[in-house]
Amino acid sequence: MKFKKIFNDQRVVLTLLTIALFIFFGLRNSAFFNVDFVIYPLLRDGATLTVIGLAQLCVLSIGHLNLAVGRMAAVSALVAGASYQYWGLTLVQGAILGVLAGALLGAITGWIIVKSQVNAFIVTLAMDFALLGLVTFIYVTFTGATAAFTTKPAGMDYWRSKSLADFCLGPICGPKALPMMLVPAIFCLILVSFMFSKTRLGRELLSTGSNLRAAKLSGIPVENRVMTAHIFSGTLAGIGGLMLAYTNGSFTAAIGSQVMLPSFLGPVLGGTLLAGGAVAVLGTFIGTMMTLVIRQGLSVQGIGLETLNIALGLVLLLALSVGQIQKMFTSIKLRGKK
Amino acid sequence: MKLPIFFKNRMTEFSLSVIFVIGFLALVLTSNGVFLSRASLQGFLTYLAVPIAIGLAQMVVLCIGQMNLAVGTMGGVSCAIMAVLMADHNLPIWLAIFIGLFSATAMGAINGALVVLTQLNGFIITLGTYTILLGFQYRLVKTFTIDKYPSSLPEFGKRNILGFPYILVVAIITAILLSLFFSRTIIGRRVLATGGNPLAARLSGVSNNRSIFIAHTLSGLLIGVASVITIASLPGINRSIGGDWLLASFAAPIIGGVLMSGGTIAIYGTVIAAGVVRLVDIARAQYSLDPSIVSLSVGVVTLSTVALSEWRRRRTERQNEGMKELI
Repeated sequence: MKFKKIFNDQRVVLTLLTIALFIFFGLRNSAFFNVDFVIYPLLRDGATLTVIGLAQLCVLSIGHLNLAVGRMAAVSALVAGASYQYWGLTLVQGAILGVLAGALLGAITGWIIVKSQVNAFIVTLAMDFALLGLVTFIYVTFTGATAAFTTKPAGMDYWRSKSLADFCLGPICGPKALPMMLVPAIFCLILVSFMFSKTRLGRELLSTGSNLRAAKLSGIPVENRVMTAHIFSGTLAGIGGLMLAYTNGSFTAAIGSQVMLPSFLGPVLGGTLLAGGAVAVLGTFIGTMMTLVIRQGLSVQGIGLETLNIALGLVLLLALSVGQIQKMFTSIKLRGKK
Repeated sequence: MKLPIFFKNRMTEFSLSVIFVIGFLALVLTSNGVFLSRASLQGFLTYLAVPIAIGLAQMVVLCIGQMNLAVGTMGGVSCAIMAVLMADHNLPIWLAIFIGLFSATAMGAINGALVVLTQLNGFIITLGTYTILLGFQYRLVKTFTIDKYPSSLPEFGKRNILGFPYILVVAIITAILLSLFFSRTIIGRRVLATGGNPLAARLSGVSNNRSIFIAHTLSGLLIGVASVITIASLPGINRSIGGDWLLASFAAPIIGGVLMSGGTIAIYGTVIAAGVVRLVDIARAQYSLDPSIVSLSVGVVTLSTVALSEWRRRRTERQNEGMKELI
């Protein structure tokens, strides 16, 4: 009975599946177990995409979507890059400025949604288009043909290429496979998880998501919570954008253009409801890792980008149908009981 | 009395037409009449056909309150299928076009079936199919440009009647047929009813699932038409086809007056809005501005149109409520 209960937890099943896939790909091609070329980049990308997945999760919690998540990341990287290049700020100062830009964008998006009462989907979609033009335009106007800010502040390569092995407590050093990028990701995971499970704010967000009317009637400032969710989303997207830029090594308009699908895959696979009201913070990390293992595993097998896309699209559609099938079974069971 | 109501209902379309004419004249004047030369007018009209067709394809899905993110890759894949069939398998043109139209329609039908089966928003389903189809597109075209097909198709794209390219005529005829579908057929009216109010439609005996399926399938067919136009107007097919369709497909219907909440169509509005966007594109080339400025301005205009129309709708609702209280 207890055994069954453990397996009912989506996260346990997902973790086991991810490990099984990892071992499967490793057995097919032992190059997959290579620490420097596979595992380290895998975890580094996983850390970045987890943060962006969390950005999506924050708005999913109130039943909204953020289609501009990638472009908010791009703006944050743009602001940070410009501050390094033109104002000569240090790594941390620029990063703070970038994250603030993300938060500001989230606030603007939330404000438009609350004031115009237009579906979040449409507002963020239009936001995405507008930002796409703006970001490219700024890069091209300021840097001409290169279309990138290339100034690297001191310490940027540290986050990009160092692992916990360089981080020692006395004689004990961390494992070489764990990238430094995991640190901000874990930090975000803990904060978001704490907010949703332990604070009043998190509970108010979730009740806004599960039933807007009920939340309003029980005295939750629903409009403020919509704003809050979008500000959190913008902030996390900003952090994700910086992580993407540091990994990339330069600040370009292409940053964040590939994250829309992964930002949904992580939370949805982890068990976050698209309709709002339920989040899976740790599940986002596990879901993200699973998609990355599939992606990386297939590419180590020598399978091209084309098939990767097909596989990831199928995973998303399957993950969505699984929820539907479960619902169907539950309703059949309930009918049987009646 | 009659005239003001006519204009009130068609305010968007009327003002768009005025903007189109003013923009057109401004371009003619600032270019010292070069814009009126045969070649540049031809270019303007030829590349107007695809935005019209994909705008209509998006509009059909918008009118049931959903959206199709896969327009670009659906078009890309059906272009690739047609090009590969003609170039590598020497299929006759008519058969290739038929298969291209059929495959686009089938992709739309699959979208529709998935939306109905999972009961999820069309957005997330088409995000999934978008990714899958992108894979197929890359697989079919690889990194080549396919142009070894019979030259009669590109020649058809260049031909025109009284200065109007044939392919633009094809797009306009499609628009007229679509307008007849929505205004004259029972199925068309049912689709609109679903978009306007699913509950009311359900209670009046309309199958919402069927409407959703039909709308997505029709969207696929229109993308098929857009692909045929694309293959006729371009010298070759590569993997970038369809990559820039998404914004254009939303911009035309939304600026043209289609509500994102569903239940409305604006075929003339979509066509004329596509024309306005095309004018912006031409102006961009003429004043040698950066291409990103087009997507910036189109994005901002789309966003403000959506906000404005929603605000107007709410105001009307509030007024109606006020009336009720008076009664």
